[in-house]
Amino acid sequence: MKGLAPLFLGIFGTFAFSWVGLTVIPNWQIGHLNPQSDEEGTDIYPQPQSGMFERGARVYVANGCVYCHSEQVRPDYAGADIERGWGNRRSAPRDYIFERQVLLGKMRMGQDLANIGARAPAEQASPSPAGAAAPAGSPGGGTSPGASPAPQAGGPAAASPATKQSPSSSPPAQAASPAPAGSPSGATSPAAIAASPATSPGSSPPTAAALVGPQTGVGAPWPIQTVGEPPMYSAAWHHVHLYSPRSINVDSNMPSYRFLYEKRRVHEQRSADALKLTGADAPPEGWEIVPTYDAKCLVAYMMALNQSHPLKDIRSVSGAPAVPAGAASPAPSPAPAK
Amino acid sequence: MNAIATGIPLKEPAVSAVAGDTEQLERAYIDASTRVPVLMFYTSAMAWLILGTLLAGFVSFKLHEPDLLSNISFLTWGRVRPAHMNVMVYGWASMAGMGTAIWLMARLCRTVLRYPLLLVAGACLWNLGVFLGVCGILLGDSTGYQWLEFPRYAAIILFVAYTLVASWAVLMFRYRRGEQIYITQWYLLGAFLWFPWLYAAGQLMLFAVPVQGVLQTAVGWWYANNLLFLWFGAIALGTAYYMIPKVIGRPVYSYHLATIGFWTYALFSSWTGMQRLIDGPFPAWMITASIAATILTMIPVATVGLNHHMTMQGYFPLMRYSPTLRFTVFGAMSYTVFSVVGLLISLRSVASYVNFTQASIAYSHLGLYAFFTMVIFGSMYYIVPRLVGREWRYASLIKLHFWASAYGIGLMTLMLLVGGFSQGSSMENPTLAFSESVETVLPYLRGRSLAGLLLTASHFIFAYHFGLMLLGLGRTSTVPTFLNPVEAETSGGH
Repeated sequence: MKGLAPLFLGIFGTFAFSWVGLTVIPNWQIGHLNPQSDEEGTDIYPQPQSGMFERGARVYVANGCVYCHSEQVRPDYAGADIERGWGNRRSAPRDYIFERQVLLGKMRMGQDLANIGARAPAEQASPSPAGAAAPAGSPGGGTSPGASPAPQAGGPAAASPATKQSPSSSPPAQAASPAPAGSPSGATSPAAIAASPATSPGSSPPTAAALVGPQTGVGAPWPIQTVGEPPMYSAAWHHVHLYSPRSINVDSNMPSYRFLYEKRRVHEQRSADALKLTGADAPPEGWEIVPTYDAKCLVAYMMALNQSHPLKDIRSVSGAPAVPAGAASPAPSPAPAK
Repeated sequence: MNAIATGIPLKEPAVSAVAGDTEQLERAYIDASTRVPVLMFYTSAMAWLILGTLLAGFVSFKLHEPDLLSNISFLTWGRVRPAHMNVMVYGWASMAGMGTAIWLMARLCRTVLRYPLLLVAGACLWNLGVFLGVCGILLGDSTGYQWLEFPRYAAIILFVAYTLVASWAVLMFRYRRGEQIYITQWYLLGAFLWFPWLYAAGQLMLFAVPVQGVLQTAVGWWYANNLLFLWFGAIALGTAYYMIPKVIGRPVYSYHLATIGFWTYALFSSWTGMQRLIDGPFPAWMITASIAATILTMIPVATVGLNHHMTMQGYFPLMRYSPTLRFTVFGAMSYTVFSVVGLLISLRSVASYVNFTQASIAYSHLGLYAFFTMVIFGSMYYIVPRLVGREWRYASLIKLHFWASAYGIGLMTLMLLVGGFSQGSSMENPTLAFSESVETVLPYLRGRSLAGLLLTASHFIFAYHFGLMLLGLGRTSTVPTFLNPVEAETSGGH
């Protein structure tokens, strides 16, 4: 090769071409998206996330959840994500605009989590009084930050007390809060849950949990256990699952995250957020396992992952509750939405 | 059987007795000047390689034995895995690659190494950066972007260290003698100039002024892919362009082909990366552009492959003797395999199966190990004797190293690819529970752990051998260590 100038110019030129083409132009195209809203300017989606959500995302990143779990639903022409009940439509760039760190993921040794919050039993995420029975007992736990962003109610405001709570003081603070009655699983058997969210998606967007009814049954990666377990994908269920994955599914190869939980003596009566563990995992008499604040944030983060709200330019799967897996795939019209 | 029988002169290039004397003296002089910095980079790299290997074994076993030491926060799988990746990428691969690149720069600029302190400081800072970064990851400070997990405090140190090394490279280039700029130097200059831009762009667009939403992921994969191609790939290709002709003592087949190969490589491989996001929430054109670029990278693969092949034509039997040649040619061939596998798993029809599976791990290992690391091993077998003034002690250890590495990486790739495909086909079948797809891949992951044991053995063997060389326990001989005995008169300077 003759001369230095062509060499240097070429080295810079090729790379500048790639840099502009693959980062600068996309940034110009989709780097400044706004939430969508309907004609009246209400029903805004997506909404900013709570402080617990942000911190939960940090916990998620710190412990490398992203190396096994994706957070994206592929379109129905590529992969079986929608048929698996991981979402009722493909993910779109707009779904992620308020996430400080987007964790799309590249591996599915675990299932996709893009809509894990939407799979929670209905009462978990709804801001109705039923939410008081939420297991976490924390200010943020009951209203599942981000999952209940009713614009008029000021969803972020509701979650804000959680963010003020000092991380270190969490367990005592939890104990101080009046214990909500009883266990979260209480009356709701999984069967009831499977039936309850059958309301058609799209009817009442903000109360997100109701939306993804079809998924609850279809997406179950393993048989739902019944006796004594918290309802699947409820906050209490997540805690038990994080603490002891193989107590819920023996074949799971998820590591347990016991270091996010604390073992302590029971004072007077069991804490409301103590994990309901059975068998070998159960702490000895007089002891209980409670989530640390990090664990609560992590669960709050997952409970808020919810892309079930319709997006204008993305086709959602129709609202009818899905028939059991494999029987009928939801209308595989090939038209790519985007 | 031996070199004479095949009529091939097994000699190192340009070491003819007549013209050689001054030239050889000059070379020896240059080699001696590179001794401290290059050995510093190599020694650090070896230490990181051993650490990274141990971490890798841990990661691999934990994947099918999830309860192994999982109650300690800094040993949880999700922290050890990025620690392993970053130790390998920044500790082993980058440091070994820089060591080789520094030596090649000095040789090809035909000048003694100037400003060694820049490099010594660079190596120290780089080690510090990697050390802090790995500790940060284990303590929960990971940033969560593939290959950019090092927290900011480590990233800044790495960048400063890198600036020292790159400015050294540019300075050296200015002191070069001779008009001709050899092919290797194109690749090395490219690598030295691309990396800081890439790293700075990645850091700025993800951490200083983060882009919105899904673009973070796009920037992250753009970074990771370009790091693989424009940093590691460029160093490895440049090294192969030097080592292969050098060992067989024959000029590169075609400069013209090399030019085409270099520029198409720079142009097309830098545009890949988005194919990893296939079917994700992105404008379709981004992904399509990268798939097209991936297909077009077959042009540099073909030209570079053809060039190496034609250079080697008739000289392949030499791989029986020269460790350098054996490793380098293995690496150069793996470049083709790596690119073809990369192309296959990028096609939309295939990607819908393997997108979220272990197949993408196979791809990274093909690029970073079968291609890059094997070429660098080869170059180390060539360079280290020239730095310490001793020859490798045991041919048997070199052979063991080669075969354990070759079989290890081969088995690993096979396990991950086949496992990835079966995992993917279970995942794409919605009548199977999701956990079936995990069950499907677990046997292959156990096989991968087995492959990891082979690689671990190979790295320990190499580290031991390297340690002997460092301690001056190599053979004192004028004849290089050949893998198999060669008749005495055919031997040249190694």
